[in-house]
Amino acid sequence: MKKRLTNIALSASIAATYMKAKLRQTLIATAGVAFGITVFIFMVSFIQGTNEYTQDVVFQQSPHLRMYNEVQIADQSLLDRRFPNGINQVHHQKPKDILLNLKDVNQVLDELRADPRVQAASGAITTQVFFRLGSSSLNGKINGVDLEREDQLFNLSSKVIEGSYEEVNVKTNSILMGVGLAKRLNVTTGDQILLTTEKGGNFPVIVAGIFKTGLTDIDKQQCYASIKTVQKLLGVPASYLTEIKVKLFDKELAPEISQQWQARYHYQGSDWKKDNASLLEGDVLRRMIVYGVAGTILLVAGFGIFNILTMMIYEKMKEIAILKATGFSDSDVRGIFLTQALVIGAAGAVMGLVFGFLISYAVSKVPFNSDVMITLDHLPVSFKPVYYITGFTFGILTTALSGYLPSRKAAKMDPISILRG
Amino acid sequence: MNVLEVANLNKYFTEPVRNQVLKGVGFQVKAGEFVAITGKSGSGKSTLLYLLSTMDTDFEGSIMINGEQMKGKANRWLAAFRNQHIGFVFQFHYLLPEFTSLENVMLPARKLGIYSKDQIEQRAMDLLKLLEVDSQAAKRAALLSGGQQQRVAIARALINDPSIVMGDEPTGNLDSANSSTVLGLFKELAKERQQTVLVVTHDEDFARRADRRIYMADGQIVEG
Repeated sequence: MKKRLTNIALSASIAATYMKAKLRQTLIATAGVAFGITVFIFMVSFIQGTNEYTQDVVFQQSPHLRMYNEVQIADQSLLDRRFPNGINQVHHQKPKDILLNLKDVNQVLDELRADPRVQAASGAITTQVFFRLGSSSLNGKINGVDLEREDQLFNLSSKVIEGSYEEVNVKTNSILMGVGLAKRLNVTTGDQILLTTEKGGNFPVIVAGIFKTGLTDIDKQQCYASIKTVQKLLGVPASYLTEIKVKLFDKELAPEISQQWQARYHYQGSDWKKDNASLLEGDVLRRMIVYGVAGTILLVAGFGIFNILTMMIYEKMKEIAILKATGFSDSDVRGIFLTQALVIGAAGAVMGLVFGFLISYAVSKVPFNSDVMITLDHLPVSFKPVYYITGFTFGILTTALSGYLPSRKAAKMDPISILRG
Repeated sequence: MNVLEVANLNKYFTEPVRNQVLKGVGFQVKAGEFVAITGKSGSGKSTLLYLLSTMDTDFEGSIMINGEQMKGKANRWLAAFRNQHIGFVFQFHYLLPEFTSLENVMLPARKLGIYSKDQIEQRAMDLLKLLEVDSQAAKRAALLSGGQQQRVAIARALINDPSIVMGDEPTGNLDSANSSTVLGLFKELAKERQQTVLVVTHDEDFARRADRRIYMADGQIVEG
């Protein structure tokens, strides 16, 4: 064992002498690796930061878990129940007429809030309405929410850009309007508009505030109001709620918990992964592009190392022969050249990590103002250690691979053919 | 005691056509002998030396060095054996140009790994002194003259106190003054340090002054 260690140390010291003799080439090869890792770290951090930011924006607005009722086609007709063994055909089955409210919703809400996995749960009542002012009439959605709890869930009060959030809570018949919708109707805080429900009832309300989430779909179509206001609008009792929104402590558990609750309470359910499938898919694709680009750069750096070592080995054929003649084994010779590749790789990788971090840090301080992403003041950058670990491993693997082939060639070299000339 | 025993050695080259280069070669060398192997080009003398050096393992017959059979041993074992028991001096000095003279001499001993680095350095310095090149110890090998390089190479061959020192035309690249110094050194080694010296040479003068001369022709020992 000790002998092995001294052999490795000896190979390493020979490698060090060779690298010192070829300092310029060694530095260029190291710079190549460093550049690859730098680009990898920077791109991954930046793209991942952007991904996380957009996810945050969207997920702030979407609960981890939703439960609701939906109009459905009955999967079993009355005939099936009456004649279970017959072949029954029902043409043009109409959807079942069901009430969209959730049964025993207040009791369920209490139960959910007692669940240790749940951070917050809030009931809501949502309905389609027409927003009318003068001759213009726009289609949209009004969410009757528990405004205090909604604030806990989605931080809604911070999105209000005009008027007052509290006022909506206290005053009945007042609503919080999306900024896009307000623009289209040309209303501001304090204006009165008319809501028309699908059943045909008309209902005057006052715009108490205007919010901006940064998500055009929501800002252009939705309003918030207290649960009471919407219940009054629809003419339904106080226990009538159509949706439960839940925020969990660990959002990764959402699909699983959703399944459990659907079975238990007989509601329909959805989770953030289902709701945002296309967004998540986009993240995966972007990440693949990053790895592709960084991989290509590292491949080029790897070729650089391969070239330098191959040239060095041709240059040093006589010396390799003499080392073998004086008793250096094949693996000692391999060790000399492999050490050079690994030193270049490790030094390059560490430099790459440092530069990558510095550039990422610099970029994260660049001011960035966007109309769409209102909560963004600097470029979003993610600093997760896992990218640095991946980058380092990546760098070492590429250089080890590109160093291995020339090293093996050196180890296999036949000393006699060289010594004989 | 015989340091080297060769029996019934056959060697074939297969490129470009199969050709027998050594035909049943056999001889013994005693400890402390200074042997010169001579012969015309193509007589097989260099081939014989490289077989004895253990670097060429493709042969028929038997080579015993210090009582150990060389036939059929693994590459790693042979490398370790060479390191400890055989010293080499080549026609073209073959030092590592990026290393200093002292480092060049020390390398085989560091590979052997018996002595500490300080001890090795001391031994290497002593050898350089013996060969009168100690003033060049700290210089990079590439900066030395031909004669100086060959002396450093001899010091390197001796660092592990090998049983046999082998030379392939060790004076072939030197002027006559340097040649005769190197020759003197080999003789001294054999006589005073009881080290066996085995040299392949074209140099008539060199061969004449050896203890024993083996003359080869057509892959066979004709004389000696």
